Amino acid sequence: MHPFDYYKPKDFDEAFAMLTQPGKKVIPLAGSTDIIPMVRDERWLPDAVVDIKGLPGLRDIKLVDSGPLCCAGQTAQCLYIGAAARMNEIAHSELVQQYASVLAQAAQEVGHEQVRNRATLGGNMGTASPAGDTLSALLVLEADVLVKGKDEERCIPALKFFLGPRKTALQPGEIILGVQVPPLPEGTLGRYLRISRRKGADLAIVGLSVMAIPAEGGYQWRIGLGAVAPTPIRVPEAETILATGHDEATVEKAIQATLAAARPIDDIRATAAYRREMVVQLTRRALQDIIAQIP
Amino acid sequence: MESVTFTLNGVPRTVAVEPGLMLLDVLRDVLHLTGTKRGCDNGTCGACTVVVNGKAVKSCTFPLAKADGAEITTIEGLAQGEHLHPVQQALVDAGAIQCGFCTPGIVMDLYALFETQPDAPQQKIDNVLNRHLCRCTGYETIAEAAHLAQERIKETK
Repeated sequence: MHPFDYYKPKDFDEAFAMLTQPGKKVIPLAGSTDIIPMVRDERWLPDAVVDIKGLPGLRDIKLVDSGPLCCAGQTAQCLYIGAAARMNEIAHSELVQQYASVLAQAAQEVGHEQVRNRATLGGNMGTASPAGDTLSALLVLEADVLVKGKDEERCIPALKFFLGPRKTALQPGEIILGVQVPPLPEGTLGRYLRISRRKGADLAIVGLSVMAIPAEGGYQWRIGLGAVAPTPIRVPEAETILATGHDEATVEKAIQATLAAARPIDDIRATAAYRREMVVQLTRRALQDIIAQIP
Repeated sequence: MESVTFTLNGVPRTVAVEPGLMLLDVLRDVLHLTGTKRGCDNGTCGACTVVVNGKAVKSCTFPLAKADGAEITTIEGLAQGEHLHPVQQALVDAGAIQCGFCTPGIVMDLYALFETQPDAPQQKIDNVLNRHLCRCTGYETIAEAAHLAQERIKETK
């Protein structure tokens, strides 16, 4: 395997000094469940990695007040999930289950138990695979991403964070601190579903996040898709259709709109045609699941 | 070179190695504990599963530096002398081993599960088997062994 240096900073100052060494390719590392296979395949060849997992506050899952950066203008508290929170911690957290059920479900689908014990939310986001399970969930939750560089912190909406396969809005030398999920009204329903060749070990062929949020006169819907475009995407066309109702005919129209938004490719996991078919099946299943829960 | 200290099967160990080595490399090639197997080497097959701080992890993608201060249990740490751990004994009794390559990983995963959750429901046990690639047995006998182990562990707890 390509050799690299391993740094474990004690605090943020040390971390940023390590991350910004001139002339060196240095990448932040958390659970290492993605980076090590990538280095072994020689798809990434870092000179060094900086293990950010132990930095203070990065593992917190808690409610926070609206801040000057993220979650601005919210009257109720937001759910904060630190970048180094493990997938299993997120999946099993009562707070996440209550405030961001779709994310808890998505975290439960990442890898295997042994991987979920170490893989982190920030890692899944930083890797930015179009198939990353948690990413479409963050899009439908309209989460904010809090990032920190040497000199400043800034907040990027999840909707603007994922720019392409393995490309994010993160600048060199910046790390993800965590995400903040805005408060949702009581009665909000969420569902994450995915298809993969093997349950667990493999990436999603299609991933789907759906939320129904109680709104005046009915529900406001949010639909997010993974693994069918260069980034996770939202499907505003289908969301608009569902805002008019969720009878059978409307649901079918929304499914077709979701299909139209998918731009899948053929790859090692599935053909584009199969992915399109699975978009239809997953969307129908998720919408029916949620509609069955509507009181 | 840097030195990393951890507790391995109850014994404090310090190793001085290249920081880019994985825990699996160190267990097998430095400490010569070859019970932990190298399968796919990319975090997929489950053969290299060991238990770190009570949790099952895949040692092939676990940088050694992350093991600093950790408590690590490998397949070599389960038996008491010649007295096998109930999970190991159950695999023997159920005839759940053919080539044996996937066995240490499965044993460690079931061990971690039953240590924290002796009453683990069927689904959890199925999930353990699902995450280990076995090319020989067809899994039926391993599932039998898992249930046998659970019964015996519950009797003693």
